[in-house]
Parts: sequence; C-alpha cells; structure tokens
Amino acid sequence: MTNDSSAGKLLRWFDPRHRKIGSWAFILNRITAIGLTIYLGMHLYMLGKLAQGPEAYNDFIELAHTPLIKFGEMFVIAGGLIHGLNGIRIGLTSFGIGVRYQKPMFVGLMVLAGAGIIIFGVKMFF
Amino acid sequence: MSTEKWKVTFCISRQKGSEQRTFQNFDLEVDPDEYVLDGVERIWAFHDRSLAFRHACHHSTCGACAMLVNSVEKLTCITPIRSVTHNGGVIKIEPLRNFPVVSDLVVDMSRFYQHMEEVRFDQVAPVEKCSLPYEDQPLKNLEEDQERLVDCIECGSCISACPVALTTPAYLGPAVLAGAQHTLSVLDQNRCVLDFIDSENGVWRCHSGFECTEVCPSNVDPAWRIMDMRRRVIANRIKRLFGRK
Amino acid sequence: MDLTPSQRKPQETTWLWFLKIIAGLLIVFLLGLHFIVNHFLGPAQGLLDYNAVIQYYNNPIIPTIEIVFLIVVVFHSLVGSRSIILDLHPSAKIIRIIDIVLIVLGSAAVIYGTWLVIVVAAK
Repeated sequence: MTNDSSAGKLLRWFDPRHRKIGSWAFILNRITAIGLTIYLGMHLYMLGKLAQGPEAYNDFIELAHTPLIKFGEMFVIAGGLIHGLNGIRIGLTSFGIGVRYQKPMFVGLMVLAGAGIIIFGVKMFF
Repeated sequence: MSTEKWKVTFCISRQKGSEQRTFQNFDLEVDPDEYVLDGVERIWAFHDRSLAFRHACHHSTCGACAMLVNSVEKLTCITPIRSVTHNGGVIKIEPLRNFPVVSDLVVDMSRFYQHMEEVRFDQVAPVEKCSLPYEDQPLKNLEEDQERLVDCIECGSCISACPVALTTPAYLGPAVLAGAQHTLSVLDQNRCVLDFIDSENGVWRCHSGFECTEVCPSNVDPAWRIMDMRRRVIANRIKRLFGRK
Repeated sequence: MDLTPSQRKPQETTWLWFLKIIAGLLIVFLLGLHFIVNHFLGPAQGLLDYNAVIQYYNNPIIPTIEIVFLIVVVFHSLVGSRSIILDLHPSAKIIRIIDIVLIVLGSAAVIYGTWLVIVVAAK
C-alpha cells in the first residue's frame, strides 16, 4: 500500500517537474548514459569493418558523411559532453569536494557543454 | 495583525484503507500569513472531522506535519500560505511519498524510525558535534560539556523527495544515512554502523540528486553527510585492505 | 556479523562504485586524448580512409592508448548499466544472472576490440 504503482514509479523517476537542479542533472546523466552505452556497441561493431578490408571501411565512412548520420553524431557528442562534464561534478562531490557548490558547478559545466556542442556543430556542418 | 483575506482552495488527498486515492476540495477564507497546517486543521475542525493528518508542536520541532504541498515536501507548520499560492489559488496537499499511506495525509514511518535506531541515532549530542563542519560554530569556548538537540527532526521529507527511495522502499534513505554520519562523528569510527550503511541498500545507492538537502526544513544537509559517509567508508575499506581494523 | 561474499546479496558494492568513479574520471582524460589524437593529430583530415587508419596504427603508442581506453570505457559502461538495473530492484537470482551476462559481454567486447586493434596494427 505505498503511494504509487511500481510502473508509475519508474516513470516518475524521469519526471523533472517539481524537482530541483540536482535531479535534472541525474535525469540527464542517466539518459546520456543509456545513449552512450548504445553508441559504444555500435561504434565497436562499425569499426569491425576495418578487419574486412579497405572497401568495407571506406564505404562505411562514406555512409557516415550523410547528413542523417552526422545529425546522429551530434547527439553522441552532446551526450558525451554532458555526461563527461557532469561526471566531473559527480566524481568531485562523491568524495566530498564542493558538495555545497554543486548547483553553480552544474550550471558552469553545462555552459561549457553547450559551448562545446556549438563548436562541434559548426565544425561538422560548415 | 494583517487583515488581508484570501480565498484559497485546499485540494486534499483522501484515502482510507485500501481505497484508491481521491482528491477533495475545500474552499477556505484564510489570512495569507497563516500556515498551511492552520488551513488543514480548520478543515478538520469545521468541515470534515474524518480528515486524518499528523501534527503536534506547531513550531518545527516535532517533525510530524511534513506533507507534500503542491508536489513539494514542506513542514506545513512553518510554511506560510502566501509562499505556496496566491489569492484565489489552489493548495494541493498529499501525504509524503515513499512511505505506506495509513489514512489520508498520514503515512507509516515505523520502518524509518527503526532504521534510525539501527544507526544509533541519538537526538542529543555535544554542542560542538551538532553543527556541520562548514558552519560557524555558534558557541565557542564552552566551559563545560554542553549538549543540545540535534538538527534532524525525523520528519521524513528527505526520504519523500529522494529519487532512489522512489525506486525501492528498501533504500535506507537520506535521513538514516545522515543519522549514521552523525553517529560516526560523535562516536568516532563504529564498525556496526559502518557495516550497516555500507550495504545493499546503503550509501552507494545514492545518485547525487541532492533533493534531500533541497527539502530539509532543519539544516541537516543530508546530501553533504552522505558524501562525507562515502569518504569515511572508502577510507575504512582501504585501511582494512591493508590489514588494519 | 560479517557475511562471506557468497552469502551476501549482490549489491552496489563499495569497490565497484569506487572504480566506476575512477574509471569515469580516467575516461574524461582518455576520451579527450582519443578524440584529439584521432581527429587532429592523426593524418590530415582525420582517419577518414582505410589506408590512413592502417598507417596511423603503425605507431605502437596508438594501439596501446586504444586498448586501455577500450577496457576503461567498457568497464564504466557495464558497471553503470548494472547500477541502472539495480534501481529496478530485481531479485538476487536475477542480479546473479545479470552479473554473469555483463561479465561475458564485457569480456567479449574487450577481446573483440583488442583483436581488432591487433589486426589493424599488424596490417
């Protein structure tokens, strides 16, 4: 007889409403974590083309230059930057460093991530 | 005395036994500087005597009246109506999350209290052990040993706000981990308490959402204490790795 | 009341958590290196054709960095996945199965990746 059904609980886990910045960071971190894990699998699979010889790999690189794949790669870069920079915050606070400044730290790191995403976007598409 | 009057709708969660939760509206005329708990009490006194809720001290010492006010954990006895709504607005009141609901706004906190005992949480401690290390010591150079009540009032707000407690009722939760940290800072290192929190549902489950510290009405800063605990556990583990008990 | 490891319910353990954080911080450093080396210091325009990759991998430092990076990333991602799965509070039995699956998956990924690096480096 707890407050919610367990299915409802799982959804509310990702519910950013009425939550503060720390939860948003957690939600972002978890979503990017899942995304990056999937990317890691795909990346390893695709690099397997290297073992199949020049043609297989060069065909793959050609495919990677289509706008759709480039667009997908932007998500990977964004996910990597957000997860990595937020990870620095989690690593530091987990050892008791800067726990009281976790909010400004998050904002600062996400500004950095945003800047990184824009720089990569400009470099990739222009 | 302010003479301002607001019309406010209290939208209150009702649930008896194994019934589904429903919401019941009560329109009240209130002074905006009254507290949310005053409104709830008035509903009980004048509108519906079957409304169940917990309260005792009315000055944020007992921790009994924590509820979800507009989806955020609040100690209702010190939450002015002005701070959560506007004239003509709605105040949605629900029981705390992550605890079993006994009736309406009352939740069963027995398991939480039991955990507090297991970490040997003591409500009274020497004055110098009661503040967080980053705070100014309020009383310096005490001539004799003096004690005071510690900050945690065991209201359960942090457990209600915790995203990990939302996923499993077995997680010890911020207040218990913070209580353990307090015990360890008073008793120095205590193996039983360390082992209790260095467990399946202990200190490693925290996902650094920092919601506990956001909602704590009593300056406990559970998130800071959990992080401090991790440092202690890791230090202890490394010592044990090299054979020191 | 010390339980031996086999009696203890599988859990988020101190060491796994600790190594996950350390691996995470290592990745920040290694990913930066992986990225800069592969896309800026490598052959002109990055590693965009087969011959460039083969030539580039002749330098023994590159395969070494890549293998270390691979191990750390696979470890971090699988331990992280385990944390996410633990939050769904599966039973002890299911956690044991998941642990085995993750270990097999991780070993397979590392062996496959290492094999790939060696194949490319040997060409």
